[in-house]
Amino acid sequence: MRRHSAWIVLLLIWSLAPMLWQLLTSFTTSAALVDGSIPFLQRWTLNHYRELLSSNPPFWRYLANSSMLAAMSTVLTTLLAIPAAYALTKIPKQWRQPVRFVVIAAALFPYVLLFLALLELARQFHLGNSLLALALPYSALQMPLALLLLTAAIEGLPVDLDDAARLEGLSLRQRLRWVMLPLIAPATASTAILVFLFAWNEYPIALTWLSRSDLLTLPVAMARIAGSSIYSVPYGAYAAATVLGAIPLLVLVLLFQRQIVRGLTNGAIKG
Amino acid sequence: MTLELRSINKRFGDRDVLRNLDLSVADGECVALLGPSGCGKSTALRLIAGLDDPDQGSISINGENVVAIPAERRRVGMVFQSYALFPHLNVRKNLELGLRIRGSRAAERDERISNILEVLQLQNQAEQLPSQLSGGQRQRVALARALLRDPLVYLLDEPMSNLDAQLREELRPELKRLMIGGSQPVVYVTHDQQEAMALADRIALMRNGRIEQIGTPQELYHRPETVVVAQFIGRPQMNLLKPQNGVMVGIRPEDIRLDQQGVSCRLLSREWHGASQMLLVESERGPLRIVCAGDQTISEQIQVNWERSDEHQFDLDSGRRLSD
Repeated sequence: MRRHSAWIVLLLIWSLAPMLWQLLTSFTTSAALVDGSIPFLQRWTLNHYRELLSSNPPFWRYLANSSMLAAMSTVLTTLLAIPAAYALTKIPKQWRQPVRFVVIAAALFPYVLLFLALLELARQFHLGNSLLALALPYSALQMPLALLLLTAAIEGLPVDLDDAARLEGLSLRQRLRWVMLPLIAPATASTAILVFLFAWNEYPIALTWLSRSDLLTLPVAMARIAGSSIYSVPYGAYAAATVLGAIPLLVLVLLFQRQIVRGLTNGAIKG
Repeated sequence: MTLELRSINKRFGDRDVLRNLDLSVADGECVALLGPSGCGKSTALRLIAGLDDPDQGSISINGENVVAIPAERRRVGMVFQSYALFPHLNVRKNLELGLRIRGSRAAERDERISNILEVLQLQNQAEQLPSQLSGGQRQRVALARALLRDPLVYLLDEPMSNLDAQLREELRPELKRLMIGGSQPVVYVTHDQQEAMALADRIALMRNGRIEQIGTPQELYHRPETVVVAQFIGRPQMNLLKPQNGVMVGIRPEDIRLDQQGVSCRLLSREWHGASQMLLVESERGPLRIVCAGDQTISEQIQVNWERSDEHQFDLDSGRRLSD
């Protein structure tokens, strides 16, 4: 037990220390970041945050863009993936294995290789500079993963449930609504979080599809902050942006903590 | 109300699961489909319920062909082996879901549910989730759900095989009182011959997708048409003597009695069951199982005999009964 807790403490330091460092950096004056001799009480400032929020466009604009984009991608993905996953569990047995193989292959494909082709599509169909349009490739790219997680969850349900619901007179849609959805809620929550995270972090496609500065997403905007000057690296501002960008995710994970854990351990223990 | 299956065929892949199955169940009659696993009995039940479609043949309820009617609208009440209760809903909501979907009014729903909960002594469990119930309670909730369906036919798929022996015996009369003997036909799938004999008016013994013999429990016991039926019905199993001249003779362990003038045997083993005991002996006509009274004293060498009229004779090649 004692050795376990030592490992846990080590792991916590390993994963939390960089974040703590960023947090401290974001409140440290630019001068103090490169000069250790400045007395402790004079090192602190809120200027990095002030700068970020008063720039044009203000930083919260990027937060809002990213939140909206990630939310739309998540909603779109789950709306399509749940019925699709249900269907995948109902197709004839001899088709299930090949279909699953294709889905896994798609999930493992490095999506960065697609970004030129996607850019071409965006040009062709005038999808550039629109957050709504960007949600399309995002949910398409996350669809394989979502399908895998949700089909696994549906297949984990007792086989007779669907039949029992049919005999009770529930139509396909009613079975999905009253039996399947509540039972796969944990898996749906963890899937949704993963999709949200992807959309929140995605860089290459957002970089190429968006050029208007009021539409930029967080990763792109942050890259601009980091590269805004050739003479210095704005460590403080960058750290402040990181902290602000992490807050919505933290809130989300805290809110859905229970469902996520249940979704991730789903299948490990059958009820 | 009646149920009729006519020349049903069903294949899964290259396996014939049901071959030319005919079955008719009369008004209020309970027919047990009995057989080893893989004999097609559960498939037959799923076809009646509409959960699978037959490749050929017709299924009629009250004279109306229902093959084209989807399971959702077929009005059958089914009890699954796994009970298939909705794990996210408490007992009351489990029962309410179907009623609500089928459009019954709130007041009527409440009344019917509290009635059925009372009948099945589940009032105190109404707000509990299925995972909090014991096996017997889950089983009763499953029964309640099937009863509330107002079905034209009851289908029971090994409803008690997940319960221990004692609970099964307790639930049997309850099942009989609630479902069997109403106006609906009941089809009861089981691999337990005791259960079939206790509950069913007629037993259809199935093997390899066919009905080997159908009849009352007494008919199957006293006049088995094939060796398979003879071996399946009755415990301990019927003795088959060494075949002579292409004829196989079967004799039930309970028809054999001790008799000084009879065949002499050597005792191999002995199981004492209280009221009765089962002996395994070696005789010149092969090994024999014998059931006799529990208080009988048994020596190493015994002589046994039986009435000629208790013998069952089967053709060695076809396994069919020879008329006597």
